[in-house]
Amino acid sequence: MKTRHPTRPAPSTPIGKPLLTIDDLKVSYGGIRALKGVSIEVKRGEIVAMIGANGAGKTTTLKTIVRLLPIVEGKITYDGRDLGTMSVEEVVEAGISLVPEGRAIFGGLTVRENLELGAFNHKRRAEMSETIDDVVALFPRIGERMKQEAGTLSGGEQQMLAIGRALMARPALLLLDEPSLGIAPKLVQQIFEAIAKVAESGTTIVLVEQNTRLALKYAKRAYVLRTGEIAMTGDTKTLAANEEIKAAYLGG
Amino acid sequence: MMAWYKRAGVSVALLGVCIVLELTFHLIVPDTAYRNLIQLALVNVVVALSLNVINGMAGQFSIGHAGFIGVGAYTAAIIASNIHKSLGERAETFQNSFLVMPPAIIAAALVAGAFGFLVGLPSLRLKGDYLAIVTLGFAEIFRLVIMTSPPGVETGGIRATIGQLGGPQGYSGPDRYGVAQYAGPFWLFGGVIVATIIAWRLKFCGWGRALRALREDEIAAAAVGVDPTRYKVTSFVIAAMGAGVAGAMWACMRDGNPSVQPDQFNFALSFDAITMVILGGSGSVSGAIMGGLFVTITVKMIEQLQRLDVIEAWKVQHPDFDLNALRMVVYAVVLIILMIMRPAGVFGENEVTRFRKREPAQAKA
Repeated sequence: MKTRHPTRPAPSTPIGKPLLTIDDLKVSYGGIRALKGVSIEVKRGEIVAMIGANGAGKTTTLKTIVRLLPIVEGKITYDGRDLGTMSVEEVVEAGISLVPEGRAIFGGLTVRENLELGAFNHKRRAEMSETIDDVVALFPRIGERMKQEAGTLSGGEQQMLAIGRALMARPALLLLDEPSLGIAPKLVQQIFEAIAKVAESGTTIVLVEQNTRLALKYAKRAYVLRTGEIAMTGDTKTLAANEEIKAAYLGG
Repeated sequence: MMAWYKRAGVSVALLGVCIVLELTFHLIVPDTAYRNLIQLALVNVVVALSLNVINGMAGQFSIGHAGFIGVGAYTAAIIASNIHKSLGERAETFQNSFLVMPPAIIAAALVAGAFGFLVGLPSLRLKGDYLAIVTLGFAEIFRLVIMTSPPGVETGGIRATIGQLGGPQGYSGPDRYGVAQYAGPFWLFGGVIVATIIAWRLKFCGWGRALRALREDEIAAAAVGVDPTRYKVTSFVIAAMGAGVAGAMWACMRDGNPSVQPDQFNFALSFDAITMVILGGSGSVSGAIMGGLFVTITVKMIEQLQRLDVIEAWKVQHPDFDLNALRMVVYAVVLIILMIMRPAGVFGENEVTRFRKREPAQAKA
């Protein structure tokens, strides 16, 4: 993505310093504790991956960041501000966008309407169409299907649309929840290349992924979650060489 | 976007139409029964338009709309009748209606809106059938509390206060001379016009689009900054306020029922409202208007058909046959045929002006 438009609002955190800090986060679903004290640090400009098996708490962490789940204990700080006191809207306004799991697009709306909703909080029309141009430059397939109902797109295209919609808010921090889930390998490749481009343009990315190989390839650092706790963390190169990771997540 | 002078022009024209209708309606439709039918249809259009906000646009399912209509009807009846009394119980003239109707309508909308807020709160945690039960519960509680609090039984406390509403006999003004009936054609047509404009604008502004997003996928909507809590509760409040206005129009309707009775706001009324919305097409403003008119008029037409000589003669020959029950059967058959022919309602989610395909918003070239 060309950096014609810097992210908005631009974070005050300098590049390379922690943009998002999660400190000892505890979250419960009903009576079940999904997160038992997770601490994560994401520096501005990097791609950080969160890997782990089903039920490890990856999606829970992302949902808690965007205020869809209440914080039981702990603190989430974004760009020096406490996210705990913010509403869903304020989080988007502050520059965080989530691409939810399972291509959660608005199936009954057209592709264009989906994208426009992504910029729901910013209503300046001219800017919106420029941002749409950027998204189309990133995903040309989306540009060809603007008037189509989003529900008629293929799985990969829906995921592209979901990412495009999140980019419409021009986030400084993009949270991706399993972008490769159930998508044809060829399209997965395209999607990850697009994600890399988005990162190059200066957007910080948190990538939740079950496809560990992909995650370790594209991210700089990674956190390994296991049953609501951080089991391991480090450089992706180091993790990829780790015997335990190889055995558990990379298939030996 | 219309220029301001165009908008002002349209407003003045619509106001003029309402005034002309006020002055000439009894000449255009001389038969009181037909006039009443049309007035009732107008009230039902506002009922359908307001329910469409919850059931159609927001995708929630309320089966307790009668409760909000009832709250509005009682509120308006009390306010209108008391103002009427303080005016010295002079004739219910058009000039005086401007002193009575605005406070009555505003109070009805506010009180109903407050109840809408209360009922809307559980909608954050409840979905589908469960929410429906809460809304039904509210409407039934409202109706039964009034039903079981007859006046004069208790002398103090909350039941005595509720007893002032007249219990099962209903409320008919402070001195029981009947509810003041100031809502002539001006207020009824005006109410429909204002409700239509508001519903239309809600649907096609960012708010309506956010509601549609919420209906499609809640998490995705939240991810783009649409706060599910706020939008759901607001849609409940707006729908309840609309129902309150409809209730006010009904209670104060000229030549209407002189008392407001709790049993008018039973489940059948909620159900009729749902029928209007679904029949016209959930989410469609045009559909709600059509549904409101269709349901009111069909029910009445079947009643009229029963009085035909052929039917009357046949009734004499077959005295066991309960034609009154048959009325509902005919009504049901009409609904079933319509739903088979157009499963998404007559209009689907479309409008009269955009019937073919939703026009995608134009991009800047």
